[in-house]
Amino acid sequence: MKIKTVNLTRIFQVGNSKVTAVDNVNLEIGEARFIAITGPSGSGKSTLLNLIGLNDKPTYGKIFIDGEDTSGWANTKRRKVRLLRMGFVFQTFNLLPTLTALENVELPMALAGKSQKEQRENALKLLETVGLSNRIHHRPKELSMGEMQRVAIARALANNPEIIIADEPTGELDSKTAKEIISLLLDVNRERKTTIVVATHDEKIVGAADEIYTLRDGKLNFKA
Amino acid sequence: MRLLTFCFRNLFRRKLRTSLCVLGVALATAFVIAVSATTTRYITVIRSMNVLFSGQVMVVTKGAIVIQAIPITRGMLPETLAADLKEDFPEVEDAVPALLVTPSIYFGNALLPVPENFTLGIPVDKWQKVLGLIVLKGGGRLPANDTCNEVVVGGSLASQYKLAVGTTLQIRGHNLTVVGVLDTKSAVLDRFLVMSLRLAQEIYGYQGKANIILVKPVKGCELQNLAAAIENHKDYKDYLKALTEEERNDIVQPIFAQIESWNIGIQSVVFLMSLILVMTVNLMSVSERRRDFATLDALGAPISYIFRVVIFEAALIGVLGGIFGIMLGSMAAVVLASFYTNIPLHLFLPGLFDIVTPTYMIQIFATVVAVCCLGGVLPAINAARMRIAEVLRAEY
Repeated sequence: MKIKTVNLTRIFQVGNSKVTAVDNVNLEIGEARFIAITGPSGSGKSTLLNLIGLNDKPTYGKIFIDGEDTSGWANTKRRKVRLLRMGFVFQTFNLLPTLTALENVELPMALAGKSQKEQRENALKLLETVGLSNRIHHRPKELSMGEMQRVAIARALANNPEIIIADEPTGELDSKTAKEIISLLLDVNRERKTTIVVATHDEKIVGAADEIYTLRDGKLNFKA
Repeated sequence: MRLLTFCFRNLFRRKLRTSLCVLGVALATAFVIAVSATTTRYITVIRSMNVLFSGQVMVVTKGAIVIQAIPITRGMLPETLAADLKEDFPEVEDAVPALLVTPSIYFGNALLPVPENFTLGIPVDKWQKVLGLIVLKGGGRLPANDTCNEVVVGGSLASQYKLAVGTTLQIRGHNLTVVGVLDTKSAVLDRFLVMSLRLAQEIYGYQGKANIILVKPVKGCELQNLAAAIENHKDYKDYLKALTEEERNDIVQPIFAQIESWNIGIQSVVFLMSLILVMTVNLMSVSERRRDFATLDALGAPISYIFRVVIFEAALIGVLGGIFGIMLGSMAAVVLASFYTNIPLHLFLPGLFDIVTPTYMIQIFATVVAVCCLGGVLPAINAARMRIAEVLRAEY
């Protein structure tokens, strides 16, 4: 999946004033790349990821996916692309608390209409890949933060996406666990050729990325 | 992951709140069933009274108030009037004097909505003509003649007072022998003591009198014409009233209509309250789970899926509340039926499905579930509107 943004701008109305969270961002994301976006808190990293992940619509500018302008896409199509071609990892994991680790991983496949057998087999494989085959029947509250993030990564991989968008995936983790998660993301990138776009403060992630961008006051700059 | 299991777990994440909501719906359902089944039961019982003297004109005193086939005032007529009517009107095939009394109408100081039992006295040779085919439980027979102290009792009365063929009972100092137990599905006949007219007159002190003359028209004569002829006859018009089946119905029809309107009104209010309860609880639940719904949206879940989750949760409350409510309401209806008739509770239990019919249970269950689903619509719309970008922005 190739993503290109042209003059991407997102302005929020906060009370009587307007805040430009993303300001004229032009970015190209190639296939199988590992891209890190850094910047201070409130610089617009999450907003940019939400726009790229089709979870939000820009105020101005356009997003092209494989050369196709997404601005005219209906919500149904945007959902379908998110479900089948993208994976998401959040800072706070966002696992569904009433589902077990296994069920959380099965969920995107169930939404995609895969058979129960296929869901179960794939979910077990993915949980094994992230090293959690012994925790499959545990609910999120019974898992450590590192384990929860591993489940979230397995869930993001469920429908074999072309891109994973990760918003501060190590933000809630201690350094040892963060290192494991970074290593996991790198493995996914290298072995599955999945594009990874990460918003992060973590220097270790930044160090491992193919491309590094910095975002300050909504403006994006190529760093390395 | 099955949707039903997912919804069930979501609901019982907040056990106390969900249980209280289910209890609220169950109580509302029980209230509707108890009130509705009780009133419907009375209406059915009162309507079924009319089958007693089907196809006959009922002649009573001018001032008598008649509810279906039961005269509730004591306007007495001479027993010989039956013979006079037969003589005066060629349209009359037969005229039978009858004495129908409701001795147990008072319980304490309160007027019972339905009398506990009825006594019907008819000349023995006219029983079949007046009551139609009489089916008695095994070993029974009709009284031998008009002079013996023999009586036939309804099945419910027999169970309540442990009466069987051969047992004796005492009414107002008269010893009566039970010679038969009525085998009937009619709730009214089940509470009848049927005896000869002479015996009824002797027991209640109405010698030579009757309070109803049942007049059967000859073939081809309309009941209405015969009734009109009797009421307009110069000798009778000042003190007799002749009621056809239709006229007997007309007296109570407006009362039934009003009761039914009230019933619908009460049901509507109760169901509206249930709807508000379910809606409030679901709105709270959706609000607490903003992040979950936003995550589902981010993962690409179709709106229909998110909608289904919330509606299913509301429907589950309806299913659980409906089941408990129907069980509670049916028991309450039986207890109320027993309380208002002074008939022991255990006699109503075998007839539970007559009081609250399976069809009515299904109707109420479907209504409760539908109301709860309706209560889930607004929360479902709210849930489907959750967007990850907005939820995360609101959190940080």
